[in-house]
Amino acid sequence: MTGLWTQRPKFIHLGLFVAAYVLGCAFAQILAFMPGTGISIWLPSGLFIATLLFASRSTWAWWLLAGCFAELFANTLWFRSPLPAAFLIYLGNALEALIGAWLIRRVLGDPVRLDTLQQMLIFVALGAGVAPIMAATIGAATVDGFDILSQSFWTAWPLFWIGDATGVLIVAPLALAVLQNWGDRTQLSATQWMEICILGLIFGGVAALSLNHYLSFTYIVVPPLLWAAVRFEFKGAAIALMFLVLITAAFTMSSGGEFPGVSESPKERHILLQLFLAISALSAMIVAAISRQHRLGLLTLRKSMDTLRHREWELTQLVDVVPSHLWRLTPDGEPIFFNRRMADFLGMGVADIDRPNATRLDALIEAIHPVDAPGFRTALRHSLATGEPFALRYRLRRADGVYHWMSSRADPLRGEDGRIVQWYGLCHDIDDQVHAEEALRERERGLRELLDALPINILSFAPTRKMTYASKRYIDKVGAPLVHIEDFDALARDVAHPEDFPRMFAVASHGFATGQPFVNRFRRRDKQGIYRWIEARTQPQRDASGTILQWHIVSIDIEDEMHAQQALRAAQDSLARQSQAASLAELSASIAHEVNQPLAAVIANSHACHRWLTADPPNIERANKTVDRIIRDANSAADVVSRIRALFKQSVDTRVNGAIEDIVAEAHNLIAEEAARHRVLLDVEVDRGLPAIFMDAVQIKQVLVNLIRNGMEAMAGLAEDKRLSVRVSRIDNTVQIDIRDHGTGIEAPDRIFEPFFTTKEHGMGMGLAICRSIVESHGGRLWAEKNEPKGAVLAFTLPIESKVLS
Amino acid sequence: MSNVKSVVAVVDDDPRVLESLEELLESAGYVTRSFSSAGALLASGTSGIDLLITDIGMPGMNGFELRDQVKKARPKLPVFLITGRHEIVDQERAQDIDGLFRKPFDGQVLLAAIADALQHKGNGE
Repeated sequence: MTGLWTQRPKFIHLGLFVAAYVLGCAFAQILAFMPGTGISIWLPSGLFIATLLFASRSTWAWWLLAGCFAELFANTLWFRSPLPAAFLIYLGNALEALIGAWLIRRVLGDPVRLDTLQQMLIFVALGAGVAPIMAATIGAATVDGFDILSQSFWTAWPLFWIGDATGVLIVAPLALAVLQNWGDRTQLSATQWMEICILGLIFGGVAALSLNHYLSFTYIVVPPLLWAAVRFEFKGAAIALMFLVLITAAFTMSSGGEFPGVSESPKERHILLQLFLAISALSAMIVAAISRQHRLGLLTLRKSMDTLRHREWELTQLVDVVPSHLWRLTPDGEPIFFNRRMADFLGMGVADIDRPNATRLDALIEAIHPVDAPGFRTALRHSLATGEPFALRYRLRRADGVYHWMSSRADPLRGEDGRIVQWYGLCHDIDDQVHAEEALRERERGLRELLDALPINILSFAPTRKMTYASKRYIDKVGAPLVHIEDFDALARDVAHPEDFPRMFAVASHGFATGQPFVNRFRRRDKQGIYRWIEARTQPQRDASGTILQWHIVSIDIEDEMHAQQALRAAQDSLARQSQAASLAELSASIAHEVNQPLAAVIANSHACHRWLTADPPNIERANKTVDRIIRDANSAADVVSRIRALFKQSVDTRVNGAIEDIVAEAHNLIAEEAARHRVLLDVEVDRGLPAIFMDAVQIKQVLVNLIRNGMEAMAGLAEDKRLSVRVSRIDNTVQIDIRDHGTGIEAPDRIFEPFFTTKEHGMGMGLAICRSIVESHGGRLWAEKNEPKGAVLAFTLPIESKVLS
Repeated sequence: MSNVKSVVAVVDDDPRVLESLEELLESAGYVTRSFSSAGALLASGTSGIDLLITDIGMPGMNGFELRDQVKKARPKLPVFLITGRHEIVDQERAQDIDGLFRKPFDGQVLLAAIADALQHKGNGE
């Protein structure tokens, strides 16, 4: 119930509905010329259907209730039928409205519009044709059943049906129009008001005359009715019909006229009246519907035309405003349209380029730069001939004579048969862009020239090490990489000297892996197959987030510098050796002199002593004296030796715990340059995890350098395969170092460690003796072995101290 | 061997060498006159001297200069040079010098050379 209550229409609407309903009942009572029948033109049926068509379905109960109240009220006032009969008749009316509204809504949809003839006919058929059957059947049965006014079912039924149908025809369209356009305040023009007035006068006059029998044809009222229907559609027709009904009612009440027609029987007159009104209403409604449909059609057409015009205007604007040139050509290439921008640019429209003895196309081509014109003509001709799209860049002369770069495209529009109907062209002004591109190209060329002019080679690699760029100078110098060489690894293997490759590649791999810049010096093969020293510096290029985009390698030739450096080192080396030799010679000379003095005295005295003893007689006294001197001087010589020994003796013990691999690495570094100069390949291999050794690092390094140098010198005469290996390994409680060469070998392995033993032309013969003394002072051993198949192995051991181990 | 004992002058800055030469020469019957420097010899004069033995490396005037000086007054005087520095002997300047002895020298060889020189001198004069 609450739902029903909340769905309630406004009271004022219900009140108005009841008032109109009661008014309709009063009208029916007046028009009932068979007094007391109440059967005549039943206007409430039209009101009821129109209300239910307009109101939402949820409020229908309220309207049924209100209708019931209104009809019972009217029954009390005028009809005076027994209450059950009145209620049954109302039930018929309500059913008629319900079924009529439901059917019309179902067929025409919501909201119900009567804009077309079809809609109108459906409305008439369902609302005025089908629906009144309910009311007529129940009403006639009730009249018959209650024996009201002695009416039989079959006499009452048509009266009921026609009465209700006429009511629906007259009132429903008008009521619907009023309800639907309640808020609509369409202003009528003065001319329309004038027309309404004239129409009203004519209508009133004709109606009055015809109903008063001054005019013998009642139907003469139909033309003005149709006029109203044509000119003012539903509203006009409905108002005119209401007017007609009122006049009819007025005449019927006054009984002045027996409308319409001349029949003697009141029943026939009654039916004729109903038919007249029904036919008039039907005609007016149909004419109104046709008129409305026609007007709406015209309205739609006008709207479509307006829309079309607007679209056309928009398109024109678009074509003119779009910041490009648009042009159209005939299939032969004759220009037939330039948009406004193009016309403004050229300073002439498409019609202005007509020249005597020349086509429009020729005239257009005149505006193209003379250099580009032939190309333009050829390309356009080709496109026109083949139907292929046209695309070209050319310079076009502006109205002020300045040429602008244009990028032009044209595509053919084909008809349904595939033939070209027109060409549509689009042309951009790309002057700024072209100039910017030129500037960019110029800069790029400048940079490239700069790169090529610089005495450096540049290579770039992607993070995947794939080669992305090689400068011209590089290609000129080294030669373009072979087809199969695509990345750094292959390139390095190809151009780097085999001896330098492992070290160089290791450095590069480390750099690439860690993302750190790196530098390599190595011999690189050039185009002629000659190896030259270069220095290659490699740097990553990163983006804002730090990700590596490219690796750039800049390399410079350092062959001359390397030669100069080697020469310098050789000179330094030689100088050092000379000074060393000189100082050694000086030292030995001093030592010799120091020792020779007392020795000379000892020997001279010995001879003298010998002479004194062998004289005749022997001079014992002098002999004794000389022997004393011999002893003295010999002791003096021994003192000299002691002094020298003291001079060379280590006064401070500089032994500490140290890593043998560090010492080997330092010795390697010291000797590396010398090895490279003598083309000796040093192969150093140190076991991992060797314990620390308690030693004098400087002395052990001296031993290593000495032994390595000996090995290198032993191979001096070899033409190739100058390989010297240093191997450090642990054997039991010692670390053993082997220095292995492929030289001439050792003829006297037992004697080489003796002082002053030398196989060298300029050697002192002290080196190995000193080495052995150093090694032995460390508690180790130094020995020599034969190397297989040739050469020698010099090996020494150093003990691992137990205190170091712990 | 002549009746008159020949006089041999010896110059050396090392007293041990000087003494040993003196002893050796006297054991061979020569009269010796010892000087610890070239200056000392020149101061006492060269008259009465039959032969000169001088060390090369000495403070002040060295053996070569002394020889040159003495030869001006006594061109025919035999001069023997002795040295403990062998590198001097190796030098070119000393290559063709007669009577150069390296310390330590053989006593017999030296005495033989002295005797030979004195005999030649005697013949020459």
